[in-house]
Amino acid sequence: MKPFKILIIDDEEVICNACHLILSERGHTVESKMDGAAGLKALQSNRYDIVLLDMMLPDMEGMEILKTIKQKTPQAGVIVITGYSTVANALKAMKLGAADYLSKPFSEDELLASIDKVCSDLKP
Amino acid sequence: MDSVNVYKNYFNVFRDIIREMHSHKDLEDVLNLGVRKTAEVLQAQGAVVQFLDQSSQQFTQRAAWGIDKCYFSNGPETKKRLQRLIREKEKHHFIRDINNAPELISAQQAWDDGIRLIMELPLSLDIQILGVMRIFLTKERQFSNDELDFVLTVSEQFACVIGRVQCVEIMEAQYDHLAKHTEKMSSLGRMAAGIAHEINNPLAGILLYSSNMIKKVPDLSPLKEGLEIIISETTRCKGIIQGLLEFARDREPQKVVTDINLIVRKSLKILENEFHIRHITVEQDLGDSMLVLLDENQIEQVLVNIFLNAIQAIDKNGIISIKTGADSKQDELKIEVSDSGCGIDKKQLDRIFDPFFSTKSRGTGLGLAVSYGIINNHQGTIKVESRSGQGSSFTITLPLLSSSGREARQQVLR
Repeated sequence: MKPFKILIIDDEEVICNACHLILSERGHTVESKMDGAAGLKALQSNRYDIVLLDMMLPDMEGMEILKTIKQKTPQAGVIVITGYSTVANALKAMKLGAADYLSKPFSEDELLASIDKVCSDLKP
Repeated sequence: MDSVNVYKNYFNVFRDIIREMHSHKDLEDVLNLGVRKTAEVLQAQGAVVQFLDQSSQQFTQRAAWGIDKCYFSNGPETKKRLQRLIREKEKHHFIRDINNAPELISAQQAWDDGIRLIMELPLSLDIQILGVMRIFLTKERQFSNDELDFVLTVSEQFACVIGRVQCVEIMEAQYDHLAKHTEKMSSLGRMAAGIAHEINNPLAGILLYSSNMIKKVPDLSPLKEGLEIIISETTRCKGIIQGLLEFARDREPQKVVTDINLIVRKSLKILENEFHIRHITVEQDLGDSMLVLLDENQIEQVLVNIFLNAIQAIDKNGIISIKTGADSKQDELKIEVSDSGCGIDKKQLDRIFDPFFSTKSRGTGLGLAVSYGIINNHQGTIKVESRSGQGSSFTITLPLLSSSGREARQQVLR
């Protein structure tokens, strides 16, 4: 699998670091941002293949960021991650164009499986 | 006083008491007026009314006139004595030899206060003792039949009033219990959602790092087992929190018109294998097809949960019986699930629907709490009867679709 450029937006430092470690061990280039504003700024100046997006950020709702990503950089695959998973939330995120949905806590294998799934869906 | 005037006097007293009783005044006011008028008409020194508190089994003074001491015990011996009077159909009891009366605990005091005769009237409904009325006189004398008749009628009215008050008190206590329970459930729900969210984040860190580390550890490393435990326990926490969120969500049921028996059969089907493996016989006694408006998934969840509990209570070789049917008025359906399992301890029975209460070592204590919430959201009830070692029986009631609802449904179907 070719290495991807991945952005993590989550206000939990431990989760950012863990995902960073796991994904960079697989050869991906990883960046992480800890709030919505910083995440959007990074998205404006860089092109990412995959965004790991937390739904509950201190400054804005994850759904709003998801909408913006899908408008401005529709090529990026968004994996929504959340600590309060409901079927309704997952459906809403999927409708807004999220490529996958992970509910916290998730393991390395679950994260990698999700990345694989989203990568294979990405347009070359 | 000639006899006409005597009767008139009785009549007036009685009329005043009845009028007071119907004026929605305080119970104390009614009783105080009653004892005062009664004492006056009998030319007594005073009179008192005591209630038997059903929980503490102690007598407490609720009304008094002309007397400020209680010469009797308020404890069980008095209750026993009055109960004997009721059993022997003695509606009144005279204590004449004050100095040597075994009924009194302060006979000397009564004598010194000038009491020479005490009339006791147990207040009861059927054979249940509610209280006692006592009339204290300063002169030893005989009572005429008319006087006895009068006092008895007053005491009977008092008994009715007390019975009514106690009934209201019991209802209030039940309501309070229910209100507290509901409040506890809803605040717990909110708290649960908050806790779940906060805990899932650190759990994510633990699970990501441990699942990453375990791949880097050689197969024979002693670290491997520890990491496996960390991963499985973290995953277990995730399950607990998921259950907690289900409970906290308190979502509105997505109701559709359906036949309850279909849901029962579907739930049994899910556990078919389990019944077979553990040699559990399922006895079904399903009534005629009954239409109800309910969320199929939620009711199925409740039934599966009850069946699972029954399976765990039986373990191996036993019987689970399930019965459905409508009540005589056709407005409520009843689902009864009984098992021949180990039963539930009396102490645990009260807490069985409480969140986080579990008798199983690996239980989350949320299954029945969630079931309780679901049935509540369907305007139904769920109850349990059980005795340790003798199995358990859960009864769920749900409102049946009214005949007008059925017609509407049939029209839609047409």
